[in-house]
This record gives sequence, structure tokens and C-alpha cells, in this order.
Amino acid sequence: MRKSVTIGTFLAAFGLAIAGLGAGAGNVAASAQPKPETMEVKVDNFTFGPAELTVRVGTTITWTNRDDIPHTVVSTDKVFKSKVLDTDEKFSFTFSTPGTFPYFCSIHPKMTGKVVVQ
Amino acid sequence: MRMNPFDIRTVVLAKHAQHVVLIHFPIALFITAVALDYLAQWTKNQTLAAAAYFNLLLAAVSTVPAVATGFAAWQWALEGQQLKGILLMHLVLGCMSSVLIWLVCWIHWRVRRHPAASLSTYRLPIEAVTVLLVGLTGHLGGFLSGVNGPG
Repeated sequence: MRKSVTIGTFLAAFGLAIAGLGAGAGNVAASAQPKPETMEVKVDNFTFGPAELTVRVGTTITWTNRDDIPHTVVSTDKVFKSKVLDTDEKFSFTFSTPGTFPYFCSIHPKMTGKVVVQ
Repeated sequence: MRMNPFDIRTVVLAKHAQHVVLIHFPIALFITAVALDYLAQWTKNQTLAAAAYFNLLLAAVSTVPAVATGFAAWQWALEGQQLKGILLMHLVLGCMSSVLIWLVCWIHWRVRRHPAASLSTYRLPIEAVTVLLVGLTGHLGGFLSGVNGPG
């Protein structure tokens, strides 16, 4: 009787271990899938930070105005254009094609930035 | 920002130079006019009153290009989108200041047309309020243009 309980316990532990390995493998498989990337650019003190960003195709960039005054995010090549962003307002754009995308603030054209999509 | 010398928007609105430069004329001329008018009222000096009048006249005329370039910046740089917050306040106060500058100018002009008439003292509080509005509009404009920031 004791022997069969020991074997049963061993088999249960073995089963759990196998199940755990399977679950772990599932996690590995899930993390291997390409996830859409998101990046953030802070607009503060009359600057875009970081001013230059290199990202992969499909990345979504969110600009957040952390400044006390309104700003805009406008692509020099008219690829994207935000409305006027007040403090804490956000603007997002997903870059689906590779290339270099310079942008500026149309209220303060000295504020410039660049997104390089690879 | 890429500069194209043949693009009228780029030339006229490059760094909003036109509005930012032109706006100083009505501000300076009007504040000087009011200071001279107060001095003229206090000293009863006709030369100071005349100087105040001509400064006022120039201030009123110079509001036209200042307001026009402000509206142009709104329509062209921001494509006329609905304004809110500081931008809206700057626009409203700027328009109110311009109307009041013209009102003060008209009060002086009306009296000048009839040398027998004298300026009423009710203009003085109107001038003071207008100076306050002009100052507030200019302060918001400076804030918006980032004169205190690195940009």
C-alpha cells in the first residue's frame, strides 16, 4: 500500500513537472511573437525628447505635451499632423513604412525632431 | 524645418517673425501715448497732448498688420483649427485690446476735430484698462512664443 502511494506521489510530481515545463514552453512561444512596439516622446521645455528616435516599422510613437504651453507635432513632409496639444494631451502615430520623418512644432518652428524608421 | 523661399507661407510665417516683430509697435506706441496723455492731463501741456494723440494714431494704425499677421498665423500655421486655452485667450484679448485702442483713438480724434471741445476725463480709466489688456495679451504672446525658453 505504502509503495503504491509513493509511486502515485512520484507520478503526480512528475506530471506536474511536465505540465510546468509545457506552460513554460508556452510562455517562451508567446514571448517570441513580435509585439507591436510603442515609444514615447516627451514635449517639454520647448524640446522634443528624445529629439531623434530610431524605430522599427510598425512602431507607434506617442508624443505627450509635458509643457505648460501648447505645442503641435507636424511632419515636415506632411505625413502626420497633430492638433494643438495642451498640457498632458497626447498624439500617436504608427509608422508603417521605413524612412526618415523629420517633424516640428508649428507654433514654435525651432522645435524640431526626427524619427528614423528601419 | 525646411525653408522654401518661394513658399509664401514659409516666407511670411517663418518662425512667426512678422507677428512677433509687428506686435511691438502698437504695444510700445500705445503705452507711450497713454503715458503722454496722463502727463498732458496732469501738466495741461498741449505739446504733450499732441504727442499723445499722434502716438495713439500710429498705435491704432499699427494694430492692423499686427492683428492681420496673428490671424494669418492661426489660419496658416494651425490651419484655422479651433483654439482653446492660452491661444484662445491670446486671440480674444488681442482683439479686445485692438478694439479698445481704436476706441481711445476715436475719442481723441473726435475732440481734435472740434478745437473748442476738451477731452473728457472718462477716457483715462479706459486707457488704463486698455494698457492692462495690452500687457496681458503681450505677456501671453511672449509665453506662447517661448521668449523665455531655449526654443
